[in-house]
Amino acid sequence: MGVIGYGLGVIGAALGIGLAAYGATTSMARQPEVQGRLFTVFILASAFVEALALIGFVVTLIA
Amino acid sequence: MNPLDKLPEEMEELVDSFSSTPVAGDLNVGITQYSFWMFVAIIILVAIIFTFKKKQAASGLVPKGRFVNGVEYLVEYCRDDLCKALLGDTWREHFPFIATMFFFILANNIVGVIPGCKPGTGCIGTTAALALVSFVYFIYVGMKNKGVLGYIKSLAPAGVAFPMNALVWVIELFSTFLRLVTLAVRLFCNLFAGHVVLGTFAILASLFFEPIMQGITMAAVGQAGASVFWVAILLVIYAVELLVAAIQAYVFTLLSAVYIQLAEAEEH
Repeated sequence: MGVIGYGLGVIGAALGIGLAAYGATTSMARQPEVQGRLFTVFILASAFVEALALIGFVVTLIA
Repeated sequence: MNPLDKLPEEMEELVDSFSSTPVAGDLNVGITQYSFWMFVAIIILVAIIFTFKKKQAASGLVPKGRFVNGVEYLVEYCRDDLCKALLGDTWREHFPFIATMFFFILANNIVGVIPGCKPGTGCIGTTAALALVSFVYFIYVGMKNKGVLGYIKSLAPAGVAFPMNALVWVIELFSTFLRLVTLAVRLFCNLFAGHVVLGTFAILASLFFEPIMQGITMAAVGQAGASVFWVAILLVIYAVELLVAAIQAYVFTLLSAVYIQLAEAEEH
């Protein structure tokens, strides 16, 4: 049961990371010189999203 | 004779092995396995820094050799990408704090990835303490720059009409305290989850390898083949974990720098 819950929860995080990567790659393709600054923002955004998925993982294991 | 039957109880044992157990003393006053590996990481870090200083002094102004250049690269990365890029003119003031955080977390994470070692940051106590240090630091910076009342007022953005102003202020106050929680939980969860996944694949590999030790049959050979597959996945995840160790140190310090920058910023 917990595994199914984790799977449901991770859908959102997967969408979020996918959107962030999509945005980063398209803007990098349009403006390659912005790559350095964009990478920082991308990692930052991914960290926020990824934390949610990881909290789900840990809660599944502990609960 | 399905090796997967044993997995649930092995998993329980694995998760149990992550809870803090004292190596010396007891849980109130003593050293748990996490703090033990934290001390190891600190000793390694201090040793690296002192050898770096010594070698750098010996080689003169131009750095020579892989070791000196490597450490210098890390420090410059921290200086340019974390401090100068985010903090602007005041980077010099905050560089010691940011660099300390970065190298401490990096050393802990890297030590934790070595098989048999535990990460000092894989325990909620350590990460909560680190987050608290960062929290107090950026609040202090904000209060020093704007004054105590000025900082408290500056949580709500200027230019919002009165009733909304108060509401936004409450939300911002809440999100400021939430930073403390998210900083701690993010680092802890990343390390914990990563190590659980590593452990799971190691257990799978050993469970599938067991039958062939007892006698060579067709099924046992097949399961040993699966075991090789698990080991291959384990190696890939190990590489990912090394990456995560570096990225999480980066993310923690990056977020601290962003919060400091927000605290320092003029009315936004």
